[in-house]
Amino acid sequence: MVREVAESCVDTMLMEMVAMYSGRFYANKPELAARRIEAIGYQVGHQLSERYTMERPRFSDHLEAIKFICKDFWSEVFKKQIDNLKTNHRGTFVLQDNKFRWLSRVSIDPSPEKETEDPLSTPGESKAAQAVSMYLYFPCGIIRGVLSNLGIPCAVSADISSLPTCSFVIRVKA
Amino acid sequence: MIVCVSVVGHQNNPLYIQSFTDADDALKLHHIVHCSLDVIEERVNNPKKSGTTLNEAFLGLLYPTVNYKVYGYLTNTKVKFILVTTDLDVRDTDVRSFFRKFHAAYVDAVSNPFHVPGKKITSRTFAQTVSNIVGSYGLN
Repeated sequence: MVREVAESCVDTMLMEMVAMYSGRFYANKPELAARRIEAIGYQVGHQLSERYTMERPRFSDHLEAIKFICKDFWSEVFKKQIDNLKTNHRGTFVLQDNKFRWLSRVSIDPSPEKETEDPLSTPGESKAAQAVSMYLYFPCGIIRGVLSNLGIPCAVSADISSLPTCSFVIRVKA
Repeated sequence: MIVCVSVVGHQNNPLYIQSFTDADDALKLHHIVHCSLDVIEERVNNPKKSGTTLNEAFLGLLYPTVNYKVYGYLTNTKVKFILVTTDLDVRDTDVRSFFRKFHAAYVDAVSNPFHVPGKKITSRTFAQTVSNIVGSYGLN
């Protein structure tokens, strides 16, 4: 029995989660809010990995598990596959998604509100980057949850130098 | 007749043990499940000696004792399912389909947001589903 949910509900829930954690629960402590959101993602990834690895034979090595995330897992969760996978064959993987679904509706106000004295900083960009990065902790947590349930402890971070392209960097702990 | 089913986590911690006999030998069944974990480790770490394929989830007959047969199944997330049965003639397809249904029930139980991964499964729905699967085992 398959039940369906409108995708806008998922989008709204994610937006509300980030707003609640960064705005209300840990209002002046963005690192704590980020850590909580990532922990929620970890549990979700943990449970989703049980469901989506059910039909598959067991993975023989780390690369197989990463490929599973890029193809099957990403298409189950985001309805598309990862566009580019890079590795340095020493435990670091970069997964690049050219149109990350959960950021597809994000637009950033490019004009900074006031001038600063420091000529080196670009306040508009850094505030925008920080605002968007809060939305990426959840998918990073999901990836970390999936990999650790498959027996691969790792650290996952996201890189958004160019929206809507989004890269996830996975560093496997040896 | 199925005597006992068990779910063991990836650190060999028991997540669920259920016996289906009226006798008081629950402890003996726990012991059998515990010993079969060693056999699973051996099978997984030495694939050439045992002859099973490296990637299959269903591990087959682990070891036959005097009265019981023990079957094993290993998921991708290193969770082990153990099935203890007293039947003398057991069809491979029956056991495989049992484990498939059991895996589906396990996935549903773990997806419960109130379930803490690593702790025992306390869901009554899971217990009920498992009883139904055991009840319908071998009837087809």
